[in-house]
Amino acid sequence: MSSSIVHAVIMYAIAAVIAFFVALLIKGMSASLGRFGRKSGL
Amino acid sequence: MDPHIFVKLFQGIATLGASEPAVMVARISLILLGMLLIYLGKKEILEPLLMVPMGFGMAAVNAGVLFLAGSQQGTLFVDPMQSDPGPLLTVLQVDFLQPIYTLTFSNGLIACLVFMGIGVLLDVGYVLERPFESMFLALCAELGTVATYPIAIAVGLSNNDAASIAMVGGADGPMVLYTSLMLSKDIFVPITVVAYLYLGLTYGGYPYLIKLLVPKELRAIPVEQKRTTNITAGQKLAFAIVACSLLCLLFPVAAPLFLSLFVGVAVREAGLKHFVDLIGGPILYGSTFFLGLMLGVLCEANTILNPRVLLLLVLGIVSLLLSGIGGIIGGYVMFFLKRGKYNPVIGIGGVSCVPTTAKVAQKSVTEVAPSVLILPQALGANISGVITTAILAGIYVTLVPLLR
Repeated sequence: MSSSIVHAVIMYAIAAVIAFFVALLIKGMSASLGRFGRKSGL
Repeated sequence: MDPHIFVKLFQGIATLGASEPAVMVARISLILLGMLLIYLGKKEILEPLLMVPMGFGMAAVNAGVLFLAGSQQGTLFVDPMQSDPGPLLTVLQVDFLQPIYTLTFSNGLIACLVFMGIGVLLDVGYVLERPFESMFLALCAELGTVATYPIAIAVGLSNNDAASIAMVGGADGPMVLYTSLMLSKDIFVPITVVAYLYLGLTYGGYPYLIKLLVPKELRAIPVEQKRTTNITAGQKLAFAIVACSLLCLLFPVAAPLFLSLFVGVAVREAGLKHFVDLIGGPILYGSTFFLGLMLGVLCEANTILNPRVLLLLVLGIVSLLLSGIGGIIGGYVMFFLKRGKYNPVIGIGGVSCVPTTAKVAQKSVTEVAPSVLILPQALGANISGVITTAILAGIYVTLVPLLR
């Protein structure tokens, strides 16, 4: 039981890290693509 | 006249009499439950697109039992347990829904087709506008998906089965179907049935959870609407391809799901109108119809009488309930972080039942404050919920088989 709680917490932490990076990716892409779009007139 | 002729003529009734009392009661109850689901679907208390075909399938499969060779009982609908190539070929030619089950259901294709349809309906712009807030709420709303895993192990399920039933907390039907197919092939039928039954309930049950956990005055808090940043279709398309590639790279086992979701998004944002019409219309609704029908015919009395089903029913509702509570806790965290200028109800949108939970959130707010709009924020959390559920499905499918 206790090991399964540890496993669940670790998997949740991995999911949180990946979700954070996806959010970061979205934020970064929105900014850089926005700039690219404005410069290139797309 | 030979009395056996009646047995041969009315086999549905004869098999009822010939079954064990528990099976007989279960068959009659499931026929009635099927009818009830159709009624609740028609009244829109439960999701009609799923419940009407599912109710029909459930009623028909439990009524249409007949004697097969060797005095065994069975139906001419589907045999989910058949996997040996020889007998399977025979069943494929006899049971009328077997081709759909074998070629689209048991390999996860139908889940991916539904996911493609969901992708076409998603406007990722809501996430792109407020990515951190949306992802945070979505992660909080995965509480059930994570917390149910150790609970299920504590009550005696294996790691794989525990992960499969815990996925119900993600409130994403195709994802539960896919995960249980990958991890728990022998009980994926009851898990999927439980998941879809409960997903129908989110529409009716979550409003009560919101009323219980969020006082009226907090439900009426207006949310500051940011000036909508101009997010172009090109940005959304670029996000779809980069996110898809990244997630496939991280979790190749769940790559079919990621591809299905993001190709739907890409088709929408690339403006491929004919594909959008095809995927968002015939493919999505055709898949949903056959998914509902298939789930109904899989609700045979013998399957439902499996003692583990009761346990799965309890764990499924625990998971979904915890996710709802987790979402609202996330909403409260945002409420405190934004010093009271945030409506905590938005948090329930993080439960990824697209777009049901977002609509439920808006409806609960509209009841107390008709002018307050939270739908954009709730949809952002909702779409992020699909992504976080896919991430957790990828983690479970990849890591859980390695755990001891």
